Amino acid sequence: MADPKIEGYQFKPGFKGMASDTGSDQTMFKGVHWGKAMMWIFLLSDTFVFSCFLISYMKGRGSTLIDWPNPSEVFGLHVFGVDVPLLLIAIMTFVLITSSGTMALAVKYGYEKNRKMCGWLILATAIGGLTFVGMQAFEWSKLIHEGVRPWENPFGAPQFGSFFFMITGFHGTHVSIGVIFLFIYAYKVFAGHYDNKKRGWFTSMKGDYVEIEILGLYWHFVDLVWVFIFAFFYLW
Amino acid sequence: MHAGIIFFLVIIGSILFHIFTPWYWTDIASNWKGMDDTITLTFWVGGGVFVAVCLFMIYCVFKFSYKEDRKAEYKPEDKKLERILTWATTLGVAALLAPGLIVWNQYVNVPKNAIEIDVMAWQWGWQYRLPGEDGKLGTTQVINISDNNPFGINLNDPYGKDDVLIQSDAINLKNNKPVKILLRSVDVLHNWYVPQFRAKMDAVPGVVTYYWFEPNKTGEYEVLCAEYCGVGHYAMRGSVLVQNDEEYNAWLGEQETFSDLIAKQKNFNIGDTKLAQK
Amino acid sequence: MSEEQDNNKVVYQAQSSETMGGSASPSPDMDYVRPAEIPEQDLYHGHSFITKWVFCQDAKVIGVQYFLTAVFTGIVGLILSWLMRLQLGFPEAAGFMTAEHYYQFVTMHGMIMVVYFLTALFLGGFGNYLIPLMVGARDMVFPYVNMISFWMFFIAVAVLMASFFVPGGPTGAGWTLYPPQTILEGTPGSGMGILLMLISLSLFVIGFTMGGLNYLITVLQARTRGMTLMRMPLTVWGIFTATVLAMLAFPALLVSAIMMTLDKILGTSFFMPTIIQAGEVLEYGGGSPILFQHLFWFFGHPEVYIVALPAFGIVSDLISVHSRKNIFGYRMMVWAIVGIGALSFFVWAHHMYVSGMNPWFGFFFATTTLIIAVPTAMKVYNWILTLWRGNIRLNTVMLWCLGFIVTFVNGGITGIFLGNVSVDVPLSDTYFVIAHFHMVMGIAPLMVIMGAVYHWFPLVSGKMLDEGLGKWHFWITFLGAYSIYFPMHYLGFIGVPRRYFEMYDSPYMASATGMNEFISMAAFIVGAAQFILIYNIIKTLKTGKKAGQNPWKANSLEWYTSTVPPEHGNFGERLPVVHRWPYDFSVPGAKEDFIPQTTPPSEVVHTKVEKT
Repeated sequence: MADPKIEGYQFKPGFKGMASDTGSDQTMFKGVHWGKAMMWIFLLSDTFVFSCFLISYMKGRGSTLIDWPNPSEVFGLHVFGVDVPLLLIAIMTFVLITSSGTMALAVKYGYEKNRKMCGWLILATAIGGLTFVGMQAFEWSKLIHEGVRPWENPFGAPQFGSFFFMITGFHGTHVSIGVIFLFIYAYKVFAGHYDNKKRGWFTSMKGDYVEIEILGLYWHFVDLVWVFIFAFFYLW
Repeated sequence: MHAGIIFFLVIIGSILFHIFTPWYWTDIASNWKGMDDTITLTFWVGGGVFVAVCLFMIYCVFKFSYKEDRKAEYKPEDKKLERILTWATTLGVAALLAPGLIVWNQYVNVPKNAIEIDVMAWQWGWQYRLPGEDGKLGTTQVINISDNNPFGINLNDPYGKDDVLIQSDAINLKNNKPVKILLRSVDVLHNWYVPQFRAKMDAVPGVVTYYWFEPNKTGEYEVLCAEYCGVGHYAMRGSVLVQNDEEYNAWLGEQETFSDLIAKQKNFNIGDTKLAQK
Repeated sequence: MSEEQDNNKVVYQAQSSETMGGSASPSPDMDYVRPAEIPEQDLYHGHSFITKWVFCQDAKVIGVQYFLTAVFTGIVGLILSWLMRLQLGFPEAAGFMTAEHYYQFVTMHGMIMVVYFLTALFLGGFGNYLIPLMVGARDMVFPYVNMISFWMFFIAVAVLMASFFVPGGPTGAGWTLYPPQTILEGTPGSGMGILLMLISLSLFVIGFTMGGLNYLITVLQARTRGMTLMRMPLTVWGIFTATVLAMLAFPALLVSAIMMTLDKILGTSFFMPTIIQAGEVLEYGGGSPILFQHLFWFFGHPEVYIVALPAFGIVSDLISVHSRKNIFGYRMMVWAIVGIGALSFFVWAHHMYVSGMNPWFGFFFATTTLIIAVPTAMKVYNWILTLWRGNIRLNTVMLWCLGFIVTFVNGGITGIFLGNVSVDVPLSDTYFVIAHFHMVMGIAPLMVIMGAVYHWFPLVSGKMLDEGLGKWHFWITFLGAYSIYFPMHYLGFIGVPRRYFEMYDSPYMASATGMNEFISMAAFIVGAAQFILIYNIIKTLKTGKKAGQNPWKANSLEWYTSTVPPEHGNFGERLPVVHRWPYDFSVPGAKEDFIPQTTPPSEVVHTKVEKT
């Protein structure tokens, strides 16, 4: 499927016009690629998944009898003889948000058909994601080393360990899936699959640079979710 | 044609079943007549709508069944009719909702003079605790529960000492005296339900839930567990005996208090029990 | 790509020139439909048996696959219900059954029927088959993802069925899977059984998400020329809205399944407070069982409408076609579907009035719940007003629709009892609840499914089902099912709690012995009657008479495919162009009593069409 065309469609003015545009024939979102619309709706659904996790977390944290551990101590890092609270998380967040930036640039170069820049930027994004997952693995092993488990926690309420491992683990899985796809897409860009509309391995659909934007949407979403997790776990 | 007749017989049959049914409410034995009244109201309004809709449908089946030479009416919309129906329905629904909410308001507001009863549930049985002379129940914790302290009363709570313990699934209630049922569970969800009292509430492990009623008819009633709690759910029964004041007071005087229990156990030592070690 | 687009324009011109010849006052402007925005879809045509029938990317085949798999699980659910009724009606004949077995059957019956049968059948089965045909698309927008969706569902069913054969058997926690008892000893199947159930549910959600994205984007972005939102058949509206609900409600189920799995295998305490069981303090502590109930019902209540809304939509179309009359108040019907869908996210805690949550929530949730009654009642009025002054064909399809109206109104009214918070107190957790939800979301949607099967079977197979057998099937099912569930309400009035393995040792419950025997007999007969349909289908496939195109004289696009049954790509060379809503039946001035959606206005200039 190629880009849908919206030439010749005149959007009507005002609220009534908006309603009639929305209800018009063929498409509701004029000129929006099917895959992009799909990703938006999937992300809406995924938002509900993460909301359920975070609301459960708030409920769990709010009703626990044993005190919740102090995040700046638990997540602190001891570097060069000083305790720096939240150091690792700050770096992780920085890396992930930077990777969002490189992703956005990759989309731009993709639409400009600048294969090389696009490919390198996707690769940079993938490496950013990989770094994030690596640092998360480090943080997990540090906490596990200190005795935090999903079912117990030497610093306070055992639910801390449960929610922390579950939610960051679920988010980390999202990042890891994204990283795998970023590597695949980087390969496809370098191999020119999007320039010569090569059909995909599985789906047998023709390649198109819009796929990079779709993956980009996912990647930005994963970043956005991290901001919430960061706020709820590390700053609360 | 016969389709319409059969549907008609179904509706008539439903009405007749309702009139002649031998299966209906058990006689109410508590103050929650309001619930019964709301059900009756809902029944007549709802039942009326059901019968009316079905009869209209059956009439259409008779009157407008297929004829080659006839054409159906073409009428996509009738705004006025739709508006009337919407408002009529809204009013009807509001009329049913209002009494429901009024009764619920009584249900959540427990009268001040209600006797508190601690109902403790486990797989699969009940036991009860009444406040002693101080009129207050001692606080409890699941972790305290042991053979020596079957209710898990906190030993340092002065209110707990005189609590009346009834280690049986049968309890007596005073007639015409409101009771506040405080429900707790040590394992899974349960629900202390006496059909004749109408009221019920789940017992949830980890929290104390409550509801209240006022028994107004002496006699013995069966307690059922109304929330699925495992394979013994259907057999988790108990009993309530509603008595007059003198009988009730006589019964209450025979019951053991927590301090009696402590005194009875010579080597009472909470730290010694198997449970407390865990 | 661009060549195909030009083709479309050529098609459009060709069509309007045809119509110019045929009509009295030719005016090409009145037939104008905007040119295609979207180029032709790039379809993958299977060649081998495997790519054509097994790993097939054609939504119609996927729909049939979904349908058959769901029907298989439904038959399993039916057999389980027989076993339950045997125990309740004739306990002495069910000596082989222990309480463990009974509770396992209850649980599996509930979960199978709600999720794996009804949801999969309506959305996976009818959704896949009908959406592309009805909106005039060649296929679902992502055929490959659609295929994966079915196979995920298939694996989910396989995992679920596997739980019957693991040590300890399937879970017996009740279909609501309330913790803490779900994962504790004392509940049957608390080992492998519950794990497989949770895994199966997670797979179902993942698979369903893939399918759901397809349905939504196909409806939103892949309609044919002229198919505006307000010209879509109500079937599409119903399935579309239900899919939106599913996309937003299933996350809560997924999250609660994940958390419960962790509680079970890692020993976390999300839903587990401090517990003493058999004198031992368990390792759990600090969790909240009510949190699970909130998550579950945040999924569970929209789930009711995920089943009901497609049924609403389909039955509207069936009633309209078979009473040869436009659906009354189409716009009201659409907004009612959307409104019910939106409201269904604000009523979940009416399942929890006596669950021990803060009782003050009762006021809010009772109000929202009864508000939902208004749009629902409007739909009922519009169905019966569609019959009014219609020209009703009393065929099998129409009988199922009438049966639906009776059972749905009955079940809807008892819903007002249970939604109205203080009325719910004496009735909740009794047989009244069982009777209510079986009537409203068991029997009523089933009536629609059956009607839909008789209605669309000629399209799917090209042959007409036998009417005589169909009528027997209907009357036995309707009368039987009604006499199962109507008296059952009165068991609830007596106060018989649900999920009781035995109820005979209480005097007032023992008084209902006769009724229980009667209900069980009716259940056996109704269940057996469903095999009439299977026989009918086999017989029809062998010797049935050919249906030809559009046997019901309907207007919507699925009956105007290039071949019957439709081939891959649905509409042959040219996609249809839509000029009107699908309910132009019995229009004054028209020669026939129906005007297909593809008929341009210039062909029917003398008619008094009010709505297009």
